[in-house]
Amino acid sequence: MLNKLLATVKKEILLLLRDKVGLSVLFIMPVALILVMTLIQDSAFKTINEKGIPIVFVNDDNDSLGYQIREGLLSNELCYLSDSIDGKPATAVLAQKAVSEGKFLVGIVIPKGATASIRKNVSTLVDETLNGADSLHKQQDSVEITILIDPVAKKSFLNAVTSNLREFISEVKTKIMFQAFSEQIAEVIPDKENPPKNSYQKSQIIRYKEIYASTATDQIVPNAVQHNVPAWTIFAMFFIAIPLSNSILKEKTEGSVFRLHTMPTPYLLLVNGKIIVYLMVCLIQFMMMLAVGKYLLPTMGLPALVLGNSMMGIFILTLATSFAATGFGVMVGTLATTDHQAAIMGSLSILLLSALGGIWVPSYVMPEVMRNISSFSPLNWSLEGFYKLFLRGGGVADILTDASKLMGFFFLMMAISYLVNHKKRNI
Amino acid sequence: MSNSAIIKIENLTKTFKHADEPAVNGVSFTINRDEIFGLLGPNGAGKTTTISILCGLFPATSGQVTIDGKSLGTQLNTIKPIIGIVPQDIALYPTLTARENLTFYGSMYGLYGKDLKDKIEIWLEKLGLKDSAKRQVSTYSGGMKRRVNLIAGVLHNPKILFLDEPTVGVDVQSRNVIIEHLKEINAAGTTIIYTSHHMEEAEHFCTRVSIIDHGKILTQGTPSELIENNNGAVTLENVFLNLTNRKLRD
Repeated sequence: MLNKLLATVKKEILLLLRDKVGLSVLFIMPVALILVMTLIQDSAFKTINEKGIPIVFVNDDNDSLGYQIREGLLSNELCYLSDSIDGKPATAVLAQKAVSEGKFLVGIVIPKGATASIRKNVSTLVDETLNGADSLHKQQDSVEITILIDPVAKKSFLNAVTSNLREFISEVKTKIMFQAFSEQIAEVIPDKENPPKNSYQKSQIIRYKEIYASTATDQIVPNAVQHNVPAWTIFAMFFIAIPLSNSILKEKTEGSVFRLHTMPTPYLLLVNGKIIVYLMVCLIQFMMMLAVGKYLLPTMGLPALVLGNSMMGIFILTLATSFAATGFGVMVGTLATTDHQAAIMGSLSILLLSALGGIWVPSYVMPEVMRNISSFSPLNWSLEGFYKLFLRGGGVADILTDASKLMGFFFLMMAISYLVNHKKRNI
Repeated sequence: MSNSAIIKIENLTKTFKHADEPAVNGVSFTINRDEIFGLLGPNGAGKTTTISILCGLFPATSGQVTIDGKSLGTQLNTIKPIIGIVPQDIALYPTLTARENLTFYGSMYGLYGKDLKDKIEIWLEKLGLKDSAKRQVSTYSGGMKRRVNLIAGVLHNPKILFLDEPTVGVDVQSRNVIIEHLKEINAAGTTIIYTSHHMEEAEHFCTRVSIIDHGKILTQGTPSELIENNNGAVTLENVFLNLTNRKLRD
């Protein structure tokens, strides 16, 4: 039996090596995919990070609020601030036009008298507090800062940007209010020995420290490489279903299967030969992708892939993913009756499973219904497993559930293939 | 030649799912050890279906088949090693060389090592393929492919060899080589069951023939008996046309 299995494996290897187009699909396509997707995503973030978000700033206030917001934004690497448009000083009208034309992503207009208005409001509040005046009868002027937004820009991105801007502007406003309060109080209760120091201008009452909650010993930074390499590698591994199903179908169409079914060799042994070879292909693909992530991408100015702490975890999960992918290929090859059917069925189902699995769009941004469906995609199990290893610093124990699900999927695919094959022969 | 039956078929019927009529309809006949038995019939007569059932490719709807004393229904796994098949379509991997194809198929019959290598080389030599054995089968002519197709079915010295149109679409030279070697295989003790549309070839090659049409056996005997018993027939083709009529078949 071992001789038969070895002969089947040898035959499959020879068939694969002679299929140059198939080989290029198996190895060159995934590398190209990782390079293109990672470079595109990385450069998109890099462009913004390097040059900053283009913001047009209109300072009609010409006082503390306007100056401090301008200074703050100028010192922020995320922003590329301009207070002129096509060589002319920016005005509210020009800014709105420029943003609507896409020349700037965001426009900020600080209205005239904004600082004075804040001071006046603070003064009123101090009066109310100290003199018990009735605030209900005094209408306060609120300061309205206009944020202009490019309508073409993506909403999620703009939400993040404008939310940061609002936070920053509000901080500046608070500081000015404190300053005004401090000055007012100093006027009412003068303390000549300890005049106001305005130290709050430089202070930050609440600070935020962002740490990626990874258990990895070396700090793993989520980036396009850490996300894309596992995602597109899994996608490529599942794409093996197409050449594998084609190999099964070729045997049917070229007549070999007729002879094979009459031979004293079990069907399972013949399929096992294919599975062994395509498992090897999957493992080679995976190692190649890791090498690309670790050694090739850094030469293109991208961060190197960090593999996490558990090589055993990576091996187990890769093997389970390979089994799931080959099992899927066997099922497609068994269900389909023509090459075209296999190609369409294989590619569309993989695209669908990958979309659901969070390869294209992370599953956490999907609506709840889709998120629930996503948890049934084997690509999602694999991706989640690799994220646990590559991003969360997990180990073997953390990926065992994902690996078990993938193996379960493999056995399910094989059972379906066996039953379908049995039914097809029972004509 | 021994006259004991190696294949016994009783009331064999096969009705495919969704088919109105059975493809094989209550067929009964026996094939004797060491004979060359011709199963002849027009397109759609039931020849390939009968052979496919005998090879274990799919089960019969009803009927009994015994091969070398074993029941096809229950002992298929013990029957498979003693049969060889040369299908009508070229059942080879086009991107493998002849030697690689034969190594694989020989291994599937349990041959390995020197024994397998020797057998492959002997057959390649016999059928004039030694010099081209390193070439991929896709580069072969139709006749060369047929010859490799034949070797793949006989490498393991089967007791019974099924030949489904083994010489279709080949030139006279290749046909002669194939027929000569089939006779040699038969002389060495292999029973041959052969189907063909080529009546002249069947007349000279087969020791006994059955003519089948619409899933039923119409007549059976040696080619000379059939010609003798059929009024006005001088060749097996005359007998065939008289029995199956001249109407075109799909």
